[in-house]
Amino acid sequence: MNLFKIISELEKVDPEIMDRLTHRRSALTALGDLSKKMALAAAPIAIGSAFNKAMGQNTLTTVAGVLNYALLLERLEYSFYDQALKAATLTVPLTGAARTAIETIRGHELAHVTLLTSALGTAADPQPANGFNFGNAFATYANFLTFAQAFEDIGVRAYKGQAVTIKTAGNPNNVLQTALQIHSVEARHAAHIRYMRRGATAGNQTAIMPWIMNADANGAPAPVYGAGNPVATFPAESNVAQGGITNLTTALGATYDAADVSAAFDEGLDSTTVTNIAKSVVTF
Amino acid sequence: MSNITQPGGDEAEFAKPLYTPIKRRSFFMYAGATAGATALLLTGCDDDDDNVTTNNGTVSLGSGDVGVLNYAYALEQLEAAFYAQVIATPYSGITTDERAALTAISKHEAIHRDFFKAALTAAAPGQIIPGLNPDFSKVNFTDRNSVLTTARTFEDLGVAAYNGAGSLIKTNDYLLIAGKIVSVEARHAAYIRDLLTPGSFSGSDVVNAQGLDQALTVAQVLTAAQPFIKETLNGDNVGK
Repeated sequence: MNLFKIISELEKVDPEIMDRLTHRRSALTALGDLSKKMALAAAPIAIGSAFNKAMGQNTLTTVAGVLNYALLLERLEYSFYDQALKAATLTVPLTGAARTAIETIRGHELAHVTLLTSALGTAADPQPANGFNFGNAFATYANFLTFAQAFEDIGVRAYKGQAVTIKTAGNPNNVLQTALQIHSVEARHAAHIRYMRRGATAGNQTAIMPWIMNADANGAPAPVYGAGNPVATFPAESNVAQGGITNLTTALGATYDAADVSAAFDEGLDSTTVTNIAKSVVTF
Repeated sequence: MSNITQPGGDEAEFAKPLYTPIKRRSFFMYAGATAGATALLLTGCDDDDDNVTTNNGTVSLGSGDVGVLNYAYALEQLEAAFYAQVIATPYSGITTDERAALTAISKHEAIHRDFFKAALTAAAPGQIIPGLNPDFSKVNFTDRNSVLTTARTFEDLGVAAYNGAGSLIKTNDYLLIAGKIVSVEARHAAYIRDLLTPGSFSGSDVVNAQGLDQALTVAQVLTAAQPFIKETLNGDNVGK
């Protein structure tokens, strides 16, 4: 890894990254401070978080921007399931009810791609030129299900994170409701994938539940369940504060476990954090 | 067993930890400060027709965002009461796995219910609906299929209700919170559906050919929920 590679990657996400950097004194200050303190090997991670701070959270402000972001995520998900269903390594384990379920999910992701492409019309972004490369995601059935969980759970967080953006942009044609209708389908997918993982042969996650307890990643990349930016709006999935009530485990007149409170509320995530996480596990 | 009415009958005691108002001053306008109390009204709400009335057993959910919160509170009360009963009198043949998951769901719904009660108590204490009395007389709690079929109805209805209500919400933070809850209801729905019929987590009866989950209007949802609630709910002004 090197800094230029990272900046190059970030430029793909945000073409104006260099403008932002040179115009954001705080970012440069942060980089300067960090460069004195951090070992070179750790720098990329530190720089990444400095960029996040400087760039803010949801860089999307238009409905078209949100829909193209959703389109990218749906294309990624569709491609993921399509490649899985065609992967020779998964021919044996991905059979019967499991294959049927993945075909159902792939069908929904394709329907979402079709719907979003149609809604965007000429404003739709082109497909990534080289498609999506998921690395070793299909090497084993357990790997596949772990990636699937990560993509579904982060998809839920991604849509949730754009609800207010759509509302603020005026919610033309009630796009908000359509986005919510996609959002809950992704949550259904996530629950089913998690249910599939309960079998020992399907990822050895006997304790996993269809919902997210605390910020448990269950083998998926931890940032999928971590905090976004700003953290007050997009906390980690372990969050137990809602609506100005600082701790729901004790503030509701009954005592609840943090695992139950955190599971009762899924958290949103900003587009920058989502895209960076996706870029960390998928090449596109 | 089986107190299926709402806990927290003592409102004052229940609300005690909740006196810290939601720290979003922009959501509120100060309606007036008297010696002992500051009355808060949600912006955008008429102050003349929002009082909850229980005349003739009819409960008005109110208008504007308070109406949406009361709407959600009513549905969560129903779900919480249902699962409390499920856990108190488990159906015959319930597995350890099912009991653990249904217990977790019952906690989630109780947390949602208590959260909305707290949010309404903080934001609009004079407009919160009372604890509702559920009617589960048509549910056979000893029978797995009866329980899970009812659970599926409630969960799918909850998803459709939140999906339909999202664009009625005026306050950004409430919209985000509704989004945080609806996906959990969808996770519940998927799990319950898989228990009933493996692989039906997003069946074509709830997810259409465009890959979209259901979104129902307040009136549609209340029509479906009403048989399970003894009081008559009036949601005519929710979100308006």
